[in-house]
Amino acid sequence: MTLNGIGLVAALATFFGVWIGHVTVRKVEYHAPNLRGPMLIALIIGVTLEVVALSSDSLYVSGACGILGMTALFDALEFRRQFKRVKKGHAQANPSNPRHAPLLANGQATTIDLLKREPTGQVITYKEQAA
Amino acid sequence: MNFFGLALGIATLFIIGLGFIWVIRGEYHFGYLWWPYVMGLGFALIVVSLFLTTAWLSALLGVFGASLVWGSTELKEQAVRAEIGWYRFNSRPKPQPPLVELIKRIKAPHL
Repeated sequence: MTLNGIGLVAALATFFGVWIGHVTVRKVEYHAPNLRGPMLIALIIGVTLEVVALSSDSLYVSGACGILGMTALFDALEFRRQFKRVKKGHAQANPSNPRHAPLLANGQATTIDLLKREPTGQVITYKEQAA
Repeated sequence: MNFFGLALGIATLFIIGLGFIWVIRGEYHFGYLWWPYVMGLGFALIVVSLFLTTAWLSALLGVFGASLVWGSTELKEQAVRAEIGWYRFNSRPKPQPPLVELIKRIKAPHL
């Protein structure tokens, strides 16, 4: 029996596309003084990969590029969503980033990574979060 | 033109979107300690996809399996989000997974 590797290729493209996108969006949003450049780069990468997906005769190449391209296009939007999380205090703000500094000065954002802890099974109060 | 990749990419976005929903609801009702079973199911689906002869089915099952593996690493962080009030917290006792004491000793992965 011959094994069909297209599912494995699609799985790897999905997992690594989501993982790399997840980490990159957070790191770039944290450091970048302006989000237009990173958004444009993600858009170009996404469109290029989709063009490759449409032009390739190989199901493997087409499938992998189609998935990675869509995750890159989604990441272009994620930069804005990540900034909204920073504004709400749901993601770490960078004091040396000119987009984040005014939010920190207004007490709107936080430099604490509130998610960097183990679950306790209890509701955590604001003071406990900050501790 | 080969529309396989484009269509698969669009389907992947929906499957990942579905992942946001099941992670939130799954953590609310069952808790994050079920993560090894979710991860195992994800890997099992990827293995099953190797034996499907239809490219579409195999690819979609692979994507769904990968989204389960990814989602399993999100369950712990979702539990923290609920505890700090960003999502609804379920104070009722949650069903414990088999081998719960062993699972508690393993640090739940987060990527």
